[in-house]
Amino acid sequence: MKTAVKISLCSLLILFSVACATDGKIHRPEAEADPFESFNRSVFEFNQQFDKYIMKPLAKGYRAITTQSIRDRVRDILSNLREPLSAANHLLQADPKASAASLSRFVLNSTLGLAGAFDVAEGWGLKKDTTGFNETFAKWCIKDGPYIVLPFLGPSTPRAATGLAFEFIFDPVFWATYHDANIKDKVAYSYAAIQAISIREAAMTLTDDLERNSVDLYAATRSAYLQYQSKLRCFNDVSGDTAVYDFDFGIEDDVFEEMEDE
Amino acid sequence: MKKNFLSLLACCLILVSGTAQAEVNAAKAEAFVKDVTNKGIEEIINANISQAEKDARFAKLFNQALDLDFIGQFVLGRNWRTSTPAQRKEFIEVYRQLNISTWSKRFDEFKGKNFIFKGTSPSNSKGQIFVNSLVPMDQGEPAKVVWRVREKGGEYKIVDIIIENVSLAISARNEYTAFIKNNPGGVDALIANLKSKIK
Repeated sequence: MKTAVKISLCSLLILFSVACATDGKIHRPEAEADPFESFNRSVFEFNQQFDKYIMKPLAKGYRAITTQSIRDRVRDILSNLREPLSAANHLLQADPKASAASLSRFVLNSTLGLAGAFDVAEGWGLKKDTTGFNETFAKWCIKDGPYIVLPFLGPSTPRAATGLAFEFIFDPVFWATYHDANIKDKVAYSYAAIQAISIREAAMTLTDDLERNSVDLYAATRSAYLQYQSKLRCFNDVSGDTAVYDFDFGIEDDVFEEMEDE
Repeated sequence: MKKNFLSLLACCLILVSGTAQAEVNAAKAEAFVKDVTNKGIEEIINANISQAEKDARFAKLFNQALDLDFIGQFVLGRNWRTSTPAQRKEFIEVYRQLNISTWSKRFDEFKGKNFIFKGTSPSNSKGQIFVNSLVPMDQGEPAKVVWRVREKGGEYKIVDIIIENVSLAISARNEYTAFIKNNPGGVDALIANLKSKIK
C-alpha cells in the first residue's frame, strides 16, 4: 500500500516537472525562476521554525554526545549505503567505468571497511563519486523547472524532487527490509532520522554563518541552490563550467534590468 | 534552417570575440592567485601570532587582493545607478567590513588545506580570466574553487570567488536585489542592515 502511494506521488511529480519545465537559461533572473515566491517564502519560514526548534537542537545534541571521529564513521556508513544508487545512476548516465567504481567501493567498504565505517577503497584509487537521479535527469536534458521549497526537505525543483522520490524508492535500505513487516517502518524512520541529523550537523557552521550575515536568507538560499543546480547539464551541452558563472559586469546589468521590467 | 544558420554565425562571432579578448596573461594571473593563497596560508593561518594580529593581516591581504570598488558596483546591480555617490561609498565600505569580519573568523578552517592549481579558463569579459583550483577535503571529493581575476594596467585583482559553481558576487547581488525590492528603505535600509551585522 505504502509503495503504491510512493509510486503515485512520483508520477505526480514527474507530470508536474514536465508541465512546469521552463527553458534553463543560464542567467535568468532568479525572481523569474521562482514564480511561486510568496508560497515558497511561507514554506521556507515554516522550515526555519522547524529547524530552529527541532532539527538544530537535535544536531547540537548529536554533536555534544559524539566525537568528530564517530560522526565521520556515521557519515561514511550512510554514504556507503548510497553507493548502489550512484552505481545505477552512473550507468544511466552512460558511464560504466564510474558505475563499476561505485560498485567496487560498495563491495570493498561494506566488507573490509566494516559496513562502510571506513573508506578503504579510496586508498586504492577508487575515489568517491556520488551521483543521483537529479544528475541523471539533467544529463537526459530534462529541464529543472521552477524553484520550489518543500516542507521539511527545503530548496528543490520539480526535477530534483522527482529524483529524491526515486532515490527513496530505490534505496537499498528500503528494499533490504521491505519483506519484514515488523522492522520495515522502524528501520525506514530511524534511517531517515539519522540521515537528517547527520546532514544537519555537518552543515551547522555554514548555515550559522549564512543566518548571521544574510539580509534576506530566503533569497540567499535560493541563489546558492539555483547556482549549484546550474552545474548539472545536458549530455550534449559542451559549454564549460565558466558558462554558469561568467557574466559581463557591464552588459549583464542591462539584460537584468530589461527582464525585471517586463 | 535560416535560424540555425544565424545562431551558428552568432556562435562564431562570440568565439572570435572571445579569443580576441583573451589578452590577460594566464601565467601571471595564476601566479598572482597562488601568491595570495600562499600568503594567506603561510603568513596568517600557519603563523604563530595573536588573533588580533591575524585579523589585521587578513584585512590587509583582503584589501590588497580584492577589487572591492569593482565588486561592490556589480553586487549592487541595477541599484548602483540610482544610488548617490555617498550611498555607493558607504555600501562598499560596509560590504568590505562584513566580508573581512566573516572570512577572518572562518579562515582557520583552511588549516592544513592547500590549493592545487588547475590552469585558467577564458572569460567573456574584457581583461578578465578564471583561475581554477581544487581544495582536497578530509572526506570525499575535493572542492572546486575558481578565482575570477581582473587585470588593469598590469595590476591583478580578484573580483569574484566561485566555490562549487556558486559565485559569491552573484549570490550577494541576488540577495541584495531581493532585499531592496522588498524593502521600502531601499539602499539605505540595506546599508543599515549590513552595518548591524559587523562585529
